[in-house]
Amino acid sequence: MVKNSAEWAARPKFPDSHFVDSRIYTDQVIFDEEKAKLFQGSWIVACHESEVPGAFDYRLFTHPTGVPLIVVRGEDMIVRSFYNICPHRGNTILYDPAGNAKRMTCIFHAWSFDTHGNCIDISRADQGYQNRFCKEDAGLRAVKAETGFGGFVWVNLDDACCTLKEYIGPALDMLEPHMQEPMEVFHFHKAIVDTNYKLWHDTNSEFYHDFVHYFNRITGMMQPGYFDRKYTAYPNGHASVGSMEIKYDAYAGSKKRAVGWPGLAPGGWILIDLFPGMTYNLRTSVLRIDTVIPLGPNKLMIEFRGLGLKRDTPEERAERIFDHNTIWGPFGRNLHEDLLAVCGQGRAMHEGTDSRWVIHGREENSTIHDEVGMRHFYAEWSKRMGRPAFDPFGEGRLLPARAAA
Amino acid sequence: MDQRHQIEELVYRSCLALDGHDFKGFLEMCDEDFRYSIAAFSPEIRKDMTWLDYDKAGMDTLFTNLPRHNSDHSPLTRHATVYTVQIEGEQAEVVAALQVFRTALDGGGTTLFAVGRYHDTIALGASAPRLLRRVVRMVTREMGAGYHVPL
Repeated sequence: MVKNSAEWAARPKFPDSHFVDSRIYTDQVIFDEEKAKLFQGSWIVACHESEVPGAFDYRLFTHPTGVPLIVVRGEDMIVRSFYNICPHRGNTILYDPAGNAKRMTCIFHAWSFDTHGNCIDISRADQGYQNRFCKEDAGLRAVKAETGFGGFVWVNLDDACCTLKEYIGPALDMLEPHMQEPMEVFHFHKAIVDTNYKLWHDTNSEFYHDFVHYFNRITGMMQPGYFDRKYTAYPNGHASVGSMEIKYDAYAGSKKRAVGWPGLAPGGWILIDLFPGMTYNLRTSVLRIDTVIPLGPNKLMIEFRGLGLKRDTPEERAERIFDHNTIWGPFGRNLHEDLLAVCGQGRAMHEGTDSRWVIHGREENSTIHDEVGMRHFYAEWSKRMGRPAFDPFGEGRLLPARAAA
Repeated sequence: MDQRHQIEELVYRSCLALDGHDFKGFLEMCDEDFRYSIAAFSPEIRKDMTWLDYDKAGMDTLFTNLPRHNSDHSPLTRHATVYTVQIEGEQAEVVAALQVFRTALDGGGTTLFAVGRYHDTIALGASAPRLLRRVVRMVTREMGAGYHVPL
């Protein structure tokens, strides 16, 4: 039955936890607040240790709050992170996304910094600053950095943050046995799409959308074990989805995966979503990591990484690359469908479209098509934001319909 | 038609076939040993990447499966310019600049989708030149939602 305007605006017939107000995806005030309340103090994957393998190797990363960061390995082989902002006149210090720099020198006025973030040279310092300012006053802004959980380099902008281990808690326990061997990034690309970052994380948090993927319907949904996969919720808004055996050979042109992954059953698939926007996705022979970098309420950049094992033979690596990109590359079968779907949400849900609610109401005993993963995320989101996701502006708490207010 | 002209026309006809989703026609231009790949270098991880890699049968299956997938239906328009042709015996190595434009179905606005190069190996032995190997070397690496049809 179609709805009139009041019925369209009426709150869904679900508990408060089972739907959200779509303005949480479109409102600029909420977006700005999310940066401060969610991203500023969260541990975020900046890169993988294999991207900075040697002393003085560096990698740039745009933090979801917008802060440009340098991740650099020192001569002591410790990985540190700093703002990529010169303390002199605010210029960018390093421009190329990766490289090797024994000293990091700002091109503007040639101030130089070491891998510990110390300023080691101010050009013509004595002449200009006499004894009023010296290199000891000009260090870089250090950012908390830890390497762990599969060799990823994590950063946190909050000096008073908890440890990475505390932040992750038990969320990655299911994957830990499969991340004991050194890994290596073989794939990286960014996608910039018109959608909200949470809609991407939502898609990674529910498998009901397997209906969009012909590949997953054939190799997963129609196979035994698919509906046994269960969600587990963890503290801090993280959640996991248990494994099943993917029947790759059910898709024409595909075949059983030749290389596996240490400890993972053949055709296995484990997915773990980390608040507020990272996903570990271990599927048979490759590990994929998504990191969201929100650019606006309806603009998102996602960093995609694909990883194999450092010890791979060239043949094994080639297999992993093929397995990864057949599904998850920029021309892969599934990634395009997922991105198309969230762009469709962005198109239907940006400011002014009169989208009202998004329903997270499926309950199937926490199995694969249950929407508990998203509900768990929004419970954490609401707590940290101090706004209920179903009523972020406190308008309709006591009212049956917002339109009636 | 001289040999260089024939080679250039093969490159251009391959663009027309893909633009028009004439996949059968495209595969007819390919040798039985045809191999297609899309590659790019990532300055971020400082590595070469292979994004797609299929033999002729694999390409055929990819094309056959296309209607079963949900895809962006905005048409792509490939513009190639053959830069160099090096003929050695029964093969030619061809480098062509490639620009790909995407046109929105609604309203028809056209935007640049990607730039790169075709590195083609062309077999000359048969009555007409045939594609033996095509490497699409991408310069563009950020393509929004990506695409299901090879470039």
